[in-house]
Amino acid sequence: MKIRKYCKIDREFVVIDGALYPFPKEEGTHFLTALYRALSVDYPKFHKMDTLSKLGFLASELIFREEDENILMFDNMAIICFNRSSSLEYDTKFQDSIEAQNYYPSPSVFVYTLPNIVTGEIAIRNKLYGETSFYITPHFDAVQMVRTVENAFQDRDTQSVLAAWIEAYEETQEVLMMWVEQGKDGGMPFLAENINTLYNKSF
Amino acid sequence: MEELILKLKKEIIEVLNLEDVKPEEIDANAPLFVDGLGLDSIDALELIVLMEKNYGIKLKDASQGKEIFKSVAVMAEYIQANRTK
Amino acid sequence: MITCVGHNIISSLGFSSSENYAAVKSGSSGLVLYNSCFDSVEPFVASMIDKVVLKEKFTAICNDSNHYSTLEKAAILSVLDANKTAQIELSNARVLFVLSSTKGNVEALENDHQQTKKYLWHSAQRITQFFQNPNTPVIVSNACISGASAQIAALRELETDHYDKAVVIGADMLSKFVIAGFQSFKALSSECCNPFDVDRTGLNLGESAATIIYSKKIPELRTLPNTHFSLLNGVVRNDANHISGPSRTGEGCVRALTYILKNIDTQDIAFINAHGTATSYNDAMETVSLNRTGLNQLPTNSLKGYFGHTLGAAGVLETIISSLALADHTILASAGFSKGDDREHLNIVSTNQYTDKKMFIKMLSGFGGCNATLLVRNGLEE
Repeated sequence: MKIRKYCKIDREFVVIDGALYPFPKEEGTHFLTALYRALSVDYPKFHKMDTLSKLGFLASELIFREEDENILMFDNMAIICFNRSSSLEYDTKFQDSIEAQNYYPSPSVFVYTLPNIVTGEIAIRNKLYGETSFYITPHFDAVQMVRTVENAFQDRDTQSVLAAWIEAYEETQEVLMMWVEQGKDGGMPFLAENINTLYNKSF
Repeated sequence: MEELILKLKKEIIEVLNLEDVKPEEIDANAPLFVDGLGLDSIDALELIVLMEKNYGIKLKDASQGKEIFKSVAVMAEYIQANRTK
Repeated sequence: MITCVGHNIISSLGFSSSENYAAVKSGSSGLVLYNSCFDSVEPFVASMIDKVVLKEKFTAICNDSNHYSTLEKAAILSVLDANKTAQIELSNARVLFVLSSTKGNVEALENDHQQTKKYLWHSAQRITQFFQNPNTPVIVSNACISGASAQIAALRELETDHYDKAVVIGADMLSKFVIAGFQSFKALSSECCNPFDVDRTGLNLGESAATIIYSKKIPELRTLPNTHFSLLNGVVRNDANHISGPSRTGEGCVRALTYILKNIDTQDIAFINAHGTATSYNDAMETVSLNRTGLNQLPTNSLKGYFGHTLGAAGVLETIISSLALADHTILASAGFSKGDDREHLNIVSTNQYTDKKMFIKMLSGFGGCNATLLVRNGLEE
């Protein structure tokens, strides 16, 4: 397996295939909204998403934006995501909406109280009909990511996997997304040590 | 009425996170759903919460929303007639 | 292919698979009307585990009962009972635990956001530590298809020889959080649900912890009771349509069905156990999918009328009940069904029927546009 392309977004930097992606930060605007604006995509639903989905959406936009849509490579792509805190950011937000004194449960918050919604958002945006799965690990775990993605290729239709670590809770907002294919040529080997390097590398 | 319509537009923009939409861009008589603002079923449910939270109007089921959420003007008329707060 | 060597269900209908199956076969339902529960302003129908009995049973096996949440207690008891037949060494490094849950201990958020027990991985670790299993558990949180995703994860881990046995647990409990959420979606019915019925009014929620212990190697024939089954195949596909609304064309579901039916003669399928939540949109989507794949003549049922929708446990619980039915040559009646929609034909089973076929299909769909199918066969390979 090899990494055809990758994208990393955290509060400091946006990196695409090893190169910094500069974008203007705006005072008083969330960095993810600023990045969305810098990409000039017209997708108003972005503003309705939870942070997990925003991170996943933007990383996948950065990965796919220069790809040729006509070669239909996406039809057999799986989306497999991992994190530590599930959907706790929106779980907490929904819990706040059902406190006794102010009980107005919000459907648009509740729908994001499942971590796998981000996989659906990416599938909808890119018309991907393959497998979508979400796994929880106690911490960033490159070994389990490799194992799980390797296993996903047992699905005989799956040609490539969009694999991502996406965490959005409390102080952490980060994504490392990798477009993984089988074979060796034309990409960095999809190995735990390489994934750890990409995850830990600072710019 | 004009005042209520403007207030409602601002509330809709806020609860539905219509980040890039300004109140004056919403035509009070245009359909809210189907094209228009690109709203969907979750947005409709969220408007039901808005009616209850801000105006004390309780809709029993989602299907009632179809008539009421036709346009901002229709919504405002319904609120005017039924509000309890 | 992997083979089940032990299973258990804890639900409103009992604390073992056989108790649960006997209740369902006799037509009993665990659904009850709750007028004021979880601070709900509106009455709702749900199926809930008897917490007094659960606590008693747990105290009998563990003297540190307060240390575990209700979900963890139920999961541990479920694994213990499943292992009565499986008799595997749960602390062995060749045994993997796989946990499926949508909301875990979400009620922990009611008091203190800082608690570690709100994390799903923490619950999973509690469970594996109880059994002194050294491996990092696999945790799947894939909305309502999680119970199928967990079995697919086990299938892959065993078929690649990473492990010899997998303990697949599906568990979800009800809370103010879950009830309020589904109410905000206007999806809960205040009556017992009627999957696939033309007059269906929405879903009921349910609690369960269910376990299947899978083995890669087929054990000696004589050591297996006749109720054992094999998971032949399983797959997940997305609708790419909407994060909460099921696709009107059933695209993901159709693809998931098509995948597992490759090289399978549908004449050999005894029945289809659908997701059948009794919401208008889900059942319509499954109806379209079964029609599109030409499976609409096959006997089809939903178990939600007995257990409600048990969320992350549903895929595990419903696989066990359906396989027990198959071993008993029975296609279970779809509780709550009386009249279908004339426009779209389906063969919904309204009374228990006889079958001598050996396979069934399990279907599940969930938020995020995900759809799963499993192909299960009774007994061992011929």
